[in-house]
Amino acid sequence: MIEMQDVWKEYGNGIAALSGVSVQIKQGDFCFVVGPSGAGKSTFIKLMYREERPTKGHIFVGGFNIERLRERQIPIMRRHIGVVFQDYKLLPKMTVAENIAFALEVIEASRRTINRRVAEVLDLVGLVGKGKMLPQELSGGEQQRVGVARALVNKPSVIIADEPTGNLDPENSWAILKLFERVNDQGTTIVMATHNRELVNACRKRVIAIEHGQIARDEERGEYGYED
Amino acid sequence: MKIRTAGRHTREGFKNLFRNGWMTFASISAVAVTLLILGIAIILTLNIQNLSTNIENQLQINAYVSDSVPATALKGLEQELFALQGVRSIKFISKAQALLAMKKQLQQNSNLLDGLGNPLPNEFVIQAIDPSQTVSLAQAVKATPGIQNVQYGQSYINKFLAVISAVRDAAFIFIIVLLVMGVFLISNTIKITIFTRRREIEIMKLVGATDGFIRGPFFVEGTLMGIVGALVPALILNELYQWLVTSVTPFPPFSFLPLAFVMQRTVIVLILCGVFMGLWGSIVSVRRFLRV
Ligand SMILES: Nc1ncnc2c1ncn2[C@@H]1O[C@H](COP(=O)(O)OP(=O)(O)OP(=O)(O)O)[C@@H](O)[C@H]1O
Ligand SMILES: [Mg+2]
Repeated sequence: MIEMQDVWKEYGNGIAALSGVSVQIKQGDFCFVVGPSGAGKSTFIKLMYREERPTKGHIFVGGFNIERLRERQIPIMRRHIGVVFQDYKLLPKMTVAENIAFALEVIEASRRTINRRVAEVLDLVGLVGKGKMLPQELSGGEQQRVGVARALVNKPSVIIADEPTGNLDPENSWAILKLFERVNDQGTTIVMATHNRELVNACRKRVIAIEHGQIARDEERGEYGYED
Repeated sequence: MKIRTAGRHTREGFKNLFRNGWMTFASISAVAVTLLILGIAIILTLNIQNLSTNIENQLQINAYVSDSVPATALKGLEQELFALQGVRSIKFISKAQALLAMKKQLQQNSNLLDGLGNPLPNEFVIQAIDPSQTVSLAQAVKATPGIQNVQYGQSYINKFLAVISAVRDAAFIFIIVLLVMGVFLISNTIKITIFTRRREIEIMKLVGATDGFIRGPFFVEGTLMGIVGALVPALILNELYQWLVTSVTPFPPFSFLPLAFVMQRTVIVLILCGVFMGLWGSIVSVRRFLRV
């Protein structure tokens, strides 16, 4: 599903964020990416949806060879991946329903399909009846659930999330994690970078630990393992 | 692109006008102010053009026939003059008609002429096809046997025409300067708009929108702003010009071109300029942030 082969990433300013990372994530996996601040977690995530490009190495995501991707194919690739961000990245002038529908309008889905899918995911994330509200009228936890709904709406085979609970209190963090687990139960791959020790330790999922741009640990039923 | 996507872009473009309320207002105002002044310049130029045509059309040659030419030869002389190169029209004014006209002008003082007999000569009033050829035509007329003298409003009218042509050139330069200023004004407004919307474009790309898909609503939005920005000054100018035409009665050679004639031309130019500015603005604004 996702594969990295000896991936290196050096930013323009000479900082080496990743140095020789190889990893395989299978369809249906649920894995946490942990590590100290500045270790390279976000870089690892960004390479997967091609916000950043590797300096060296190969990356495959759902059949796409990321570094060979033509400019025109990038949007196509991104439609197969649902991305969730720490700061939600919702369009502030659009309603909740419009924000979610947007991901389907992009693939030119029919109005009927859009309405049906939007209603389905709103139900899934527990925001029935809030479709007409603007993001700023929602709590942080609710906004992140909109973010998740948007990521899910076109049924991607993988959800990639960078600290999705970074701005949320424990209760809302749990709600997001439960959502991910439900989606994962239906076969969607989940990759989630996080600093949230409780979630990681309670779940006992696969944990990939990154330190100094390298994979320090990769355990099937791992723990958070840092003292912060 | 599917029709439904075109529909979606149109809908979104419309909605964006309202979503970005203040920015829309600012952009439309910038377009409207520029086009209002442009419209005034166009209407002025059209009327100045009209004024100079009026004046040129009044350029005429008065050819005075010497008294030695017998009345029977006048018809032949008229034909001879009409045959000259570049004559548009020729009109005969007899001594008697000329005297009558003069008496009318002098009104109660007309008795001054009593006892003088009729000192006025027979006269032909000639107009050239091309007003600028008036001088050379006048020379040809003067060279015709039987013509004693010619008069044409050369000196002061030519000066007047020169002034008008200078005004026209100034107006033209003014329009250019204005358009440059307008473009500057609008590009500034757009810069602010872009800044508030770069995040929007960034998010669209992350969700898998193609560049074309992102541009769609921006184009619709830009075009609509351009059209509204053109219609507002068009309406204002229409009202102003109508008021001017009905409330001011100009004396010749001044005259107003008809409202419909002026507005048809002005509105077309304004809308074209408006759409151009709007589209240009949206192209510039999106292009800078598509590389995410
Ligand atoms: N756009 C960038 N340009 C230059 N350097 C960058 C950029 N993004 C990240 N870096 C550097 O790369 C290294 C890894 O950053 P990254 O954001 O991947 O860390 P992280 O593990 O996500 O940290 P955190 O837990 O604080 O989010 C850091 O040293 C950072 O300064
Ligand atoms: Mg990070």
